[in-house]
Amino acid sequence: MIKLSSLIVGGLAAGLTLGAQAGTLDDVKKRGTLSCGVSTGLAGFSQKDEKGKWSGLDVDVCRAVAAAVLGDANKVQYKPLTAKERFTALQSGEIDVLSRNTTWTHTRDTSLGLNFAGVVYYDGTGFMVSKKLGVKSAKELDGANACIQAGTSTELAISDYFRENKIKYKPVTFDTSDQTRAGFESGRCDFLTSDQSQLYALRIGLKDPKGAIVLPEVISKEPLGPVVRQGDDQWFNIVKWSLSAMIEGEEQGVTSSNVADKLANGKPGNKRLLGGEGELGKNLGLNPDWAYQVIKQVGNYSESFERNVGSGSPLKISRGLNALWKDGGILYSPAMR
Amino acid sequence: MANTFKTDPIEFKPAAAQPAPSSTVGPVAWIKENLFSSIPNSVVTILVILGLLNVVPGVIDWMFISSTWSGASQDACVSDGACWVFIQAWSQQFFYGSYPSDGLWRVNLSLILLFVVIVLSFTLPANIRLKVSVPLFLVLPFVCIAILDGRLVGLDYVNTDFWGGFSLNVLMAAAAIIVAFPFSFLWALGRRSDMPLARSISVVFIEFFRGVPVLALFFMGSVMLPLFFAEGTNVDKLVRVWIVLIFFMSGYMAEVFRGGFQAIPSGQYEAADSIGLGYWQKTLLIILPQVIKVSMPNILATFVMLFKNTVFLLIIGIPEVLQTLLTALSNSNWLGGHAVEGYVFVGVIFWLCCFGMSMLASSIEKKLDTSHRN
Repeated sequence: MIKLSSLIVGGLAAGLTLGAQAGTLDDVKKRGTLSCGVSTGLAGFSQKDEKGKWSGLDVDVCRAVAAAVLGDANKVQYKPLTAKERFTALQSGEIDVLSRNTTWTHTRDTSLGLNFAGVVYYDGTGFMVSKKLGVKSAKELDGANACIQAGTSTELAISDYFRENKIKYKPVTFDTSDQTRAGFESGRCDFLTSDQSQLYALRIGLKDPKGAIVLPEVISKEPLGPVVRQGDDQWFNIVKWSLSAMIEGEEQGVTSSNVADKLANGKPGNKRLLGGEGELGKNLGLNPDWAYQVIKQVGNYSESFERNVGSGSPLKISRGLNALWKDGGILYSPAMR
Repeated sequence: MANTFKTDPIEFKPAAAQPAPSSTVGPVAWIKENLFSSIPNSVVTILVILGLLNVVPGVIDWMFISSTWSGASQDACVSDGACWVFIQAWSQQFFYGSYPSDGLWRVNLSLILLFVVIVLSFTLPANIRLKVSVPLFLVLPFVCIAILDGRLVGLDYVNTDFWGGFSLNVLMAAAAIIVAFPFSFLWALGRRSDMPLARSISVVFIEFFRGVPVLALFFMGSVMLPLFFAEGTNVDKLVRVWIVLIFFMSGYMAEVFRGGFQAIPSGQYEAADSIGLGYWQKTLLIILPQVIKVSMPNILATFVMLFKNTVFLLIIGIPEVLQTLLTALSNSNWLGGHAVEGYVFVGVIFWLCCFGMSMLASSIEKKLDTSHRN
């Protein structure tokens, strides 16, 4: 049923985008704001505060694109979207870029008339157990009860994983994440499983967050990234390289505080990234200082990560897979030249 | 000749009434009569009291005694009870959404206008009441939209993405029902019409919007509709669901009106015909005022239903009050599990509003005497 409906939606979208519209860049410039699809609320990724201000890792991608294109990271119109309407909103042109913890999958990339412009966060299904259990690896969870949120892809992932490893488990499903957490807390189950980024958020809500640990195993691939419409390669490039500029910024040690200095006195690579040399901006159809503005106003990847989900946030997620390739992670920006 | 007989009038003086036997008056007797009149009754009473004793102290303790009332962030929530700091910190979001702080008076003004128009429609002198309040009602949604949007009246433009909170629930419900009103009247007339085309179109429309769940309609409005528009013509999401709400509401109200039409005695129609009034004269001058009078309680009941239905907007990401609550709960600085406080808060404000409307409905019912006894 889901497949059928996504086929219909995809077909409709393909029909619409054929007659497309290149020129997202011109539209955004003319409008003066970037219209960015985010979630209706996901801790650390796209969240609103009491003042109505948006922040998060996904939100920073929107801000980076706005900084690169319009020179002002604050010129973003956030459109909170549910999971069901996110692709339609993009296909119909309601938003210019979708940055809403969306997993990059083959089906979505090929059949919905969309392009994934990179990966912001490598997520995956993980496990949280009570410290008292003394478990160090998911393989030791034989015969345990699992708290799972009903109807999520997590259910499939852990059923596959435990079957492969010939481990028995009893699923206890709950309707919402609050109930799942309450179930875990009351001891209905021995471990809780969800996307790793979610586990950290759920852990904070426990009465005793230190009494639970997130196991190192990640059993499914959930690369989350920004999405754009197919058929506008220039815009696709702009989003892709705005994200890459943040990652490259970290790799080159360019931060929001030293960016001016690096532009004036840095290595040739720094100057090329920041627009002092070369034609990177011109090739994208942007100002030479596009990456300078991104790093100046939003920060490099590490700054954004630590501020939103890492050590500077309540979530305290470690870099893990999301560290740079030279620090043991898999984050890698194509060559900036 | 004077009457020589003079007698004192004999007056009947009843003896002072005895007090009722103490076993039939006073609280003790009341309790005995109502709560312990029979064995099953006594058992039920005791069970209910035991149940209440079990639950109520815990709830009161959680809500009032061991709760936290003051503070600025989650760090203030250290006690076991409810943390009302959460509600307090997010109260502006809950009521006004992300509407700019210096423009909140515009939201307030819209709500006050709505209130004033409602009050006027009951307090104006009867001879001009309909003539004044009907146009006021019909203009009101557009005035409110102009004030909130700002472009037409020369205020700062506020995109609909910033509208939200409980005020959005109220205004959406009001704007939908007001615009739906004339439509539903036409649908009801169409359904009663002798013209086959008008009748079948009305029947199909009414039954479609009454038969399809409002959630499905919202999904159609938010996910399907945009795919049918030409690319680049973006109809605002809020406008799309407003249209959906209007259609939904007019389907329901049409049936309310149809009931009203049927309740009018056929003598009224015949009398109007006999003095030579045309169809529209008959309908607007004779029948409609009576229909509105008879259907008033049902209209208000439908309105309460629609008002509560506005929280379903959360499933398509419109930042109404419940969606705002979910957004607040997912903020990484407020992850301490404040869901119960939030839901209690939303439940209480909805209950207050709906209860108020029920009271209003029953007082209108008394005033209008809709029983049609005469």
